[in-house]
Amino acid sequence: MFNLRDKGAEIWESQGRVGRVAIAVGAIAIVAALPFMGGTFLNTPVADYESVLVYPIAMFVLMAIGLNIVIGKSGLLDLGYVAFFAIGAYTMGLLGTKTELNTWEILPIGIAMAMFSGIILGVPALKLRGDYLAIITLGFGEIVRIVALNLGALGRSEGIQGIPTPPGIFGIEYAFDSHRIYYWTLLILILLAIWMVRRLSARRAGRAWESIRQDEDAAELLGVPTFKYKVWAFVLGASVGGAAGVIYASKTLFIAPDNFTLQISILILACVVFGGMGNIWGVILGAVILGYLPDRIRFLSDARLLVFGLVLVLMMNLRPDGILPRKKREKAIVKKDAS
Amino acid sequence: MSTSLIELKNVTMKFGGVTALGDVSFDVKEKEILGLIGPNGAGKTTVFNVITGVYQITSGEIIFDGKSLAGVKRYKITKRGVARTFQNIRLWGDMTALENVMTAADTHKKSGLVSGLFGFPVSRREEKRDKARAQELLDFIGIGEYSDRLAKNLPYGVQRRLEIARAMGAEPKLLLLDEPAAGFNPAEKVELAATIRKIRDAGYTVLLIEHDMSLVMKVSDRVVVLDFGQKIADDSPRKVQDDPRVIEAYLGVPEDAS
Repeated sequence: MFNLRDKGAEIWESQGRVGRVAIAVGAIAIVAALPFMGGTFLNTPVADYESVLVYPIAMFVLMAIGLNIVIGKSGLLDLGYVAFFAIGAYTMGLLGTKTELNTWEILPIGIAMAMFSGIILGVPALKLRGDYLAIITLGFGEIVRIVALNLGALGRSEGIQGIPTPPGIFGIEYAFDSHRIYYWTLLILILLAIWMVRRLSARRAGRAWESIRQDEDAAELLGVPTFKYKVWAFVLGASVGGAAGVIYASKTLFIAPDNFTLQISILILACVVFGGMGNIWGVILGAVILGYLPDRIRFLSDARLLVFGLVLVLMMNLRPDGILPRKKREKAIVKKDAS
Repeated sequence: MSTSLIELKNVTMKFGGVTALGDVSFDVKEKEILGLIGPNGAGKTTVFNVITGVYQITSGEIIFDGKSLAGVKRYKITKRGVARTFQNIRLWGDMTALENVMTAADTHKKSGLVSGLFGFPVSRREEKRDKARAQELLDFIGIGEYSDRLAKNLPYGVQRRLEIARAMGAEPKLLLLDEPAAGFNPAEKVELAATIRKIRDAGYTVLLIEHDMSLVMKVSDRVVVLDFGQKIADDSPRKVQDDPRVIEAYLGVPEDAS
């Protein structure tokens, strides 16, 4: 079978610095140009193509990258990831309507709030492992939603309305219907998240997470401060989810507890598993497909969810490790040595 | 006489009603190879587990390098200078041999996640230094050519050696080897004995659990024998071999002698 992951990595490794920069710039340019391709076969019937690019696609990609730090890198099953998304969104909603702060000022606050809640959840929950951890995080996701549903200050089931759009920067205006501007904003956040993950993966933190995922007891006995790095994984995953939440609230102008159900957690988890746990490119591809597909086949009307489910089941049977699995390419490494 | 690096004082470890270690006392001197032997279930691996903090001892005291290990977190015990191998190989299979050693070497890094993210000079420097040191350790153990291979794909014997290299990566003063020769053929055992001596000569103190008598007797400076959680001998290899209690523990007592 044609191995997309190995092929891609081979091309990348065969290039020098200049070649790599060229590939990266080219890829970014293509991705950035996607909003202009609405007239092609990519167009989504019924739904507005450019708005689909923003939500779900770009938003899913960002969140999947964040969740991948927790699940793919460190092997911690988090079923309540939507909580951090919600915390970012509600931070934006509250501060945006009650104070004079604008989106760009709230963004770091939202990220900080999400990271802080990552610590609040992580410190007690990460003493547990496996299924128990999954259940606690599931509960946390629901707690956040239910608090939002019952707290007067958060608008209960009506949520928060009239959230301001971001102020313009560099002469670029954020009108609520200029989807492509939001898309490019998210693209920048996605690139930052990719940079962060790739950077950390190659160093101490990445090795610590890998060792924890593969054999946590052995890791601890060989001097890895496992608890600290597990909390870090949670906190970094939360920061990405929080950032996505802030932009989401600032884009939709209206948020309610119904936007933050368990279904989102499950969908993002599906993106990670579908694409290939632990492989950032796989996860991105998974998120793009799972975000895009339901809208692309919307003409099937009610049958589309059935088809969507069928595709998922088929994929997981054919490629249980995801589209681009994590496994390291040992052959490529050895070959490089021999030459 | 040289000083003790680690000292177990009246260590008792009970699991419910079962006494895995009963009032065991012995020490390991600096730069010594101490063999720890005993029949199956004698409590040898339990000794490793109480030293490395896997279990909290029921009573007694463990002094390492002058300080008690009571209540110290596992990774901090490693940082203080104790590292171990596992009887059933527990490498990180999806990492390369080099990464396995580097991960253990991270124990002593000053730079953490944040300086790694932003590429601070201290992080770059440590990364470079540890990579070189990890490769040196693999060469030292004799598996240098496998550094880029995934641990799970390595031949069995190489995996066993990698376990040792990984433990040495954590720069321990005391190296705990749990049956490093398990599954080795006689030729490999001879080679391993030489490696263990080489490790000691490089300045490490070794506490060795091993079933293979000829190996233990050959490399150990001193041998401690456990039987049913009790220490029954603690002497030079030659004397231990002739100790009637040791022979009894291993072979049983003839009917007519009792």
